[in-house]
Amino acid sequence: MASSASPAPPGRVSFASLTHQNIGTVRKLNSVLFPVKYSDKYYQDILQTEVEPFCQLIYYNDVPIGNICCRLENKELYLTTLGVLAPYRSRKLGSQALQRIIEAASLHNKPQIKRISLHVQVSNGDAKRFYESHGFGEAGIHKNYYKKITPQDAWILEKIIEHGPGQ
Amino acid sequence: MLVSANSTLGTYPACPPKSWHKKERKLFSELLQAYEQKQLSKGRKIADQILKKQPQHGETMCMKGLVMVHLGEREAGISLIKDGMRKDLQSHICWHVWALVQKGEHNYEEALKSYTMALKIDKDNFNIIRETSILQTHTRQFDVLLESRIHMLRLRPYSRVHWVGVALAYKLVGNTAEARRYLDHMEGFLRNVPPRDIEYGELVFFHVRVLEELGEFQEALTLLDKKAKDRMLVDRPAIAECRGEEEWTEAAEQSWTELIDQNPDNQDYYKGFLANAGIDLDSLTDESRTKALGILEEFSSRHPKTNTYRRLALKIAEGDKFKELVKPYIERALEKGIPSIFSDVKNLYTDPTKLQSIQDIVEDIRLSVSPKDQAQPSTSGDPTYYLWTLYFLAQHYSSLGRYEKALEILHSAMEHTPTLPELYMTKARVLKRAGDPYGAVRAMEEARKLDGQDRYVNTKSGKYRLRAGMINEADEVLTLFTKKGVPANIDLLDMQALHYLTEVGDAHRRLKGYPLALKTYYAIQKLFHNFREEQYDFHLYSLRRSMLGSYVAMLGWEDDLHSHPAYIHAAVWTARIWILLYDDPSIIKSLHPPGNASSQKGESRHRFLRFRVYHITIRFIVRAKQNEDKGLEAPPGKDDDPEGLKLVSADDPLEQASKVLGSLGELGKDNIEVNATMFDVAIRQKKYLKATRELRRAHARDPHHPEVHVRIVQLARTVASVSDVPEPVKSVLEASVAELKPAEVSLEVFNSQYLQRHSLSASGILASAKVSQMLDTPREEVENLLFTTLTDGVQLRLEDALEILSYLSTIQSPRADEFRIACDARFTLSKVFKGDEEQAVLRRQCIDPRDESEVETVF
Repeated sequence: MASSASPAPPGRVSFASLTHQNIGTVRKLNSVLFPVKYSDKYYQDILQTEVEPFCQLIYYNDVPIGNICCRLENKELYLTTLGVLAPYRSRKLGSQALQRIIEAASLHNKPQIKRISLHVQVSNGDAKRFYESHGFGEAGIHKNYYKKITPQDAWILEKIIEHGPGQ
Repeated sequence: MLVSANSTLGTYPACPPKSWHKKERKLFSELLQAYEQKQLSKGRKIADQILKKQPQHGETMCMKGLVMVHLGEREAGISLIKDGMRKDLQSHICWHVWALVQKGEHNYEEALKSYTMALKIDKDNFNIIRETSILQTHTRQFDVLLESRIHMLRLRPYSRVHWVGVALAYKLVGNTAEARRYLDHMEGFLRNVPPRDIEYGELVFFHVRVLEELGEFQEALTLLDKKAKDRMLVDRPAIAECRGEEEWTEAAEQSWTELIDQNPDNQDYYKGFLANAGIDLDSLTDESRTKALGILEEFSSRHPKTNTYRRLALKIAEGDKFKELVKPYIERALEKGIPSIFSDVKNLYTDPTKLQSIQDIVEDIRLSVSPKDQAQPSTSGDPTYYLWTLYFLAQHYSSLGRYEKALEILHSAMEHTPTLPELYMTKARVLKRAGDPYGAVRAMEEARKLDGQDRYVNTKSGKYRLRAGMINEADEVLTLFTKKGVPANIDLLDMQALHYLTEVGDAHRRLKGYPLALKTYYAIQKLFHNFREEQYDFHLYSLRRSMLGSYVAMLGWEDDLHSHPAYIHAAVWTARIWILLYDDPSIIKSLHPPGNASSQKGESRHRFLRFRVYHITIRFIVRAKQNEDKGLEAPPGKDDDPEGLKLVSADDPLEQASKVLGSLGELGKDNIEVNATMFDVAIRQKKYLKATRELRRAHARDPHHPEVHVRIVQLARTVASVSDVPEPVKSVLEASVAELKPAEVSLEVFNSQYLQRHSLSASGILASAKVSQMLDTPREEVENLLFTTLTDGVQLRLEDALEILSYLSTIQSPRADEFRIACDARFTLSKVFKGDEEQAVLRRQCIDPRDESEVETVF
């Protein structure tokens, strides 16, 4: 796991891969974290083995409190969700999770991953700054990305993945 | 069961008549040999060969019959054995064969008689004596067992095991001094025992315990030390435990300290340590309390990570000292997120001041760590600390019956962290207790969805569904963890899951599915008979391996097996259902709807209880596959009554009930529900003396128990009106009634006195109402009385209310619905007082996925 620059939070942080047994926890988290409802197909997709390193539950003191999930599109990773329950924020949990995914992406071989991208609603400046601090940059604006929530526009953020010379 | 392993007929000489040809005599001993080596087909051929020449030879007929039974031709075999015995009643072989067959049918008393006959003819036949001794142990005839054991020792005095056998038999008849004499003697002649021999070590421990029982502590200790020094004992903790218990010295303190260092989590070791310091935990004084706490505190430097002695200190401490100790104990657990902390401290609640202290402490913790705004990142300490504190408080208030408060705390915890399964499980339990079995199922389902691999949640989910009357749905969820390819109910019966079977039986009963309820309760009883059977193999084995301590403990456990709560529950409900069917035979008719096998609108129809047959059949298949030998046990009959309809149609329901209750262990009979049910059966059977005896037993336990009150009046009325009993019996009955109720007091007065005494208890009021009804009081008055349970000041528990409601409908009260609606309002969270249709809807809904509110769908 990447070591964060700030002092380590007091609790134990750990991660777990998604399984059919804990997918209910992911559903529960998403239902309170995000204003959108994900389809059953979405939950089937994040259980696929090829995305296993990029779809993880986040635990704080052994309690599941967040998740990070990605989709593999050709040679790119698209980050679908990253969320932590409100009381557990400001503890660098999201940073650790994102860092873990970036690292997994840079170590991934078949296929080699070139880029991680994601959407952020244009009203959510905090989120944008968060990703920027992890080396993401704005790649454009997706007009009318959201159908039922406003503002409907979203920033497209992306990060180019560096691979070590040996890979 | 290893019947075949013990069935050797062999070593004694075959005894065909002298007039036989030499060749045939040889054939006969070949026959015995073939049987022993389980060459069954060969044995049968030999027997046929002999019978060609000697068609009247009883022993050969018996042997052939025995071989046939093994080959699966049970009926023909048994009939041949019977013919053979008629030809030769003077043969020990014939009697032995017959004993084997009876043993195979688990008819131990009869088998024992046959062995005794065999022994009369061949009195020093060692094999037969040994078999006899096993049966005598199994049937607990220890006096004659002792004779057999002495006989065996006389025949084979050079073997250690026969000396031990006699010592054990003496121990079992309660003559410990004589047991010791034999052990001492054996100790004197034993030579060349290799060191670290476990079997010998066990024997030494047995010897030590015998000495201890005789109060010979010094000798016990000497023996223990000598053997430990000679490296004869392998079980080192046991040595120290023995030592610790026997001495009152510094050496004992040392032993206890060693034990604690080895396993600091065993509370018994600390208790031993304290007892050795002269502290009696059952009667503490201020002085010994302080001393005990001082000693326990000293362990904290030695074992800082251990909680065991801290927990023990909580039990001992009082007042401010208790507060001082319990605060860090709970704080530490909540900080670490130990989910079981509440169940850990719960039994301190028997002391109300401790309960209050704990509540104050944990509420203080909540105040100090509670965030100003739950929707914001926590700034006041670890968020999980707050979460576990809420979890603790929810359980705390639920245990006090403050369900609404518990739910409120749980909902606040769920808003904080909606992913902790424990919260939903506790919510389920709160709802269950508050009378909402359907909401409980739903909450448990939510927990299960969060963590599908937790077997505990899964089991609870199954149980809660059964409680809500969803029997098939329960099996669906239980199947997720039972053996693949076998229905859950069959696997769970095979695993002897008493808690599951009990809940299934109760669920059928509540749905009025009496046939399957009875079948399930009988299946439970059958399991207990199996437990009892299973000790059979140990009688010989434990002696041979000298595992005597555990063996003697096991015998005691087996003796009290039929007092197990699950057995009592199954037996009492079996009897109650039989009584119900006796009182109202129309129930049985309604169970046979023409052309439609399903009863109770399909709800109680459970793909069930073919399992009993299935269960036994698999074992048979396993054995049959191994070889042609089908064994001596009778094969199971086919279950031609899968729905239990034949079972409930038995024409002697009271006889059935009486049989079931009669099978209870003695300790089990010390139970008011059991006594009351026995009374109910006996009085219907007109066995008035028996009914009186049971009622007096219950009366001795609790003269004011509602069930006792009702039955006293019932008995008094019955005795007053009976005419068909002889005069001496009648006067005994009258005398007994007079002891239960003063003769000068009329039944009406007796009842109103009882009511006065229990006017604030709903169950007391119900008992009094039942009596009024019995005494022909107008129904309106009975109803009015029952409605007083709703007034302020009367303690009305949910289960009382349900019972009263059920009684109102029994007496066909027009006010039953009124009572139901009042209870529905009174027990605010409950759903069990809703109308039948509404409850059916709730039941259907509780495992449907809930409609989630309309939100945007992406991806």
